[in-house]
Amino acid sequence: MLKATKALAALAAGALALSACGGGGGGSSSKELKLWHYETQDSAMGVAWNQAIKEFEAAHPGVKVKFEEKGFEQIQKTAPMVMNSKDAPDILEYNKGNATAGLLSKQGLLTDMTAEVTKRGWDKLLPPSVAETAKYDAKGVMGGDKWYGVPNYAEYLQVYYNKALFDKYGVKVPTTLDEFTKAMDTFVSKGVTPLSNAGAEYPAQQYLYQLALSKADKPWVDRYERYTGKVDFHDQAWTYAANTFADWVKKGYIAKNSSGTKAEDAGTAFMAGKFPMFFSGSWWYGRFAKEIKNFQWDTFLWPDTKLTLGSSGNLWVIPKGSKNKDLAYDFINITMKKEIQNLLADNGGVPVAGDPAGVKDPKNKKLIENYQTLAKNDALGFYPDWPAPGYYDVLVAGTQKLINGTASPNAVLDGFAKPYNENLANTGH
Amino acid sequence: MSSISVSRGRPAAHRRTPGAWAVLAALAVLAVVMLLPFVIITFNAFKTPAEYSGHGPLSVPKGFYLQGIKDFWERVDFGAKLVNSLFISVSVAVLAVILSVLNSYAIGIGRIKGRVWILVLFLLANTMPQEVLVYPLYFLAKKVGLYDTRLSVIIIFTAIQTAFGTYLMSSVLSTFPREILEAARMDGAGRFRILWRVVVPISRPTLGVLFVFFFIWTWNEFFLPMVFLISNENQTVPVALGVLQGQKMMDATMTSASALLGIIPAVVFFLIFQRTLTRGITVGAVK
Repeated sequence: MLKATKALAALAAGALALSACGGGGGGSSSKELKLWHYETQDSAMGVAWNQAIKEFEAAHPGVKVKFEEKGFEQIQKTAPMVMNSKDAPDILEYNKGNATAGLLSKQGLLTDMTAEVTKRGWDKLLPPSVAETAKYDAKGVMGGDKWYGVPNYAEYLQVYYNKALFDKYGVKVPTTLDEFTKAMDTFVSKGVTPLSNAGAEYPAQQYLYQLALSKADKPWVDRYERYTGKVDFHDQAWTYAANTFADWVKKGYIAKNSSGTKAEDAGTAFMAGKFPMFFSGSWWYGRFAKEIKNFQWDTFLWPDTKLTLGSSGNLWVIPKGSKNKDLAYDFINITMKKEIQNLLADNGGVPVAGDPAGVKDPKNKKLIENYQTLAKNDALGFYPDWPAPGYYDVLVAGTQKLINGTASPNAVLDGFAKPYNENLANTGH
Repeated sequence: MSSISVSRGRPAAHRRTPGAWAVLAALAVLAVVMLLPFVIITFNAFKTPAEYSGHGPLSVPKGFYLQGIKDFWERVDFGAKLVNSLFISVSVAVLAVILSVLNSYAIGIGRIKGRVWILVLFLLANTMPQEVLVYPLYFLAKKVGLYDTRLSVIIIFTAIQTAFGTYLMSSVLSTFPREILEAARMDGAGRFRILWRVVVPISRPTLGVLFVFFFIWTWNEFFLPMVFLISNENQTVPVALGVLQGQKMMDATMTSASALLGIIPAVVFFLIFQRTLTRGITVGAVK
């Protein structure tokens, strides 16, 4: 034992000396583009961006892309520290929103890209409601005047439905809210819960917010997300949303026992054919396409609404200390090109500047066409958890109360208003 | 602790009382509860993603699907992560044990002034959540140019583990039989000689336990390594596992595969040193 300890000590000491030597000499040459993102390799973005890296290296002889795959949580938790150091990457994918990209832009850690964006014409490729999450003002609030990021893909919510179950119970794809509720009544009368839901995570609040959006307009969204005016949580839209959501639980459209369910469970339950419908984001699309083998499925947009949940995807941002800003801009430019954008679409992603004519699969084509309709009509209503830090948990708690019936819709709305207004007071809006 | 209960349990083994049976049953249930997560992880590690989506997490795998494990290994270059983790954990365990012995020799046997306050201070430092430490450590590491090096993590965890080790060893050594020390001194041994020839050999089982604990604790650390090892080539095993956690998506089968890969080394290490652990903290045994 003593001998072993000595050997270990010697080993450790030797290795320590080694690593100490290695620590100093890590200077990167200028002929390397350090790139980070957190999309998995076989996802639409992963595939498209891998191709973009290849094209970039072909177009820039002598420059090597040093790509490192990161975890979402790692970037979320460490980005401010990483970007404030000399070890920051030259370009990375980063989460959009006031609490993330907005905050870093306010702290001066991101490069203002406005000049390049207009010079290279990216602003013309991006519809206004998508560009909104890439631009921030001096307070770090989205919808500002300066570009701090460039989105490469978009996301939006739609209803995924199980064709086999629709046929089995003789339900037609609804085009109005009335038909939608009638369809759900049919399922309930046959003992089937129509909507897959997850009360412990984002799906429940997205049902609720969609209900509110169906009674709202764009200025309402601006007031809520960008603090352009007073938000009344007892206005017609919110009241309708909370009451209807509670009503839907009562009627059995949403399962009473879904208050503790996670998003992953709601998705896999839909994939296992346990629910005929699941209202959720385009981020499920690729996985459903690959993994649902037992039945046919398709999608429709939420009926009778001018707005639906959705926004740009995450952003390419360039840290302030990036040593290769020009190369980073060139890389973004390649990812915005039609071929890369269509490759993204072919793999089940939603490109911001794609061309449906160039997409082969009819279902993928519909995914893009739906998005383009939404973008053209300025119909993306963002997400309910954006306005304040920690608001996601407030919404989860509120919707759980609605599902369990432990608080009235009115009381739940009061619970939403309090932290929202506190945040406004704290940030000085 | 455990060695005491084992030795006391033996004579009773021949005629088990109803109480002993009840304890046995309770332990069996507890063992099943503890093992269940491992079983589920193992199940899902060998399932195809489609099988997981179609039948849920609790179903028994139909085949032996190894692609998930293989893909994960190649994707994160798992071999290199193992080397990093091993290097960091062994260094921390060795250094922290050495420092703990030196500290506690001064505090427990040397009885230096203010030893109670020093121990209280160490204990306080130990209860500090890592989230509090992160920013100061980050700025320090950046100042001295150690940010994004394995050395920074080794230094930090050596300090953290030594705080606990000093606390524990000091109380153990404060009950160290004085007669032995006296005898050594009579024979003309100096302070260092007493430490290396008398105190360390006698407390070796305790040091072994500390070494195993320090290794496993450091191995499983996630938060600080994640913050300090930002380059993929420096990352440890738990940080590499985090790569699979997407923003809205999780790949359940690959996550299970990676979790299985991640716990195997710690379990193997534990099994190897299991005897050291069960021997327990028995320095005060000389009466």
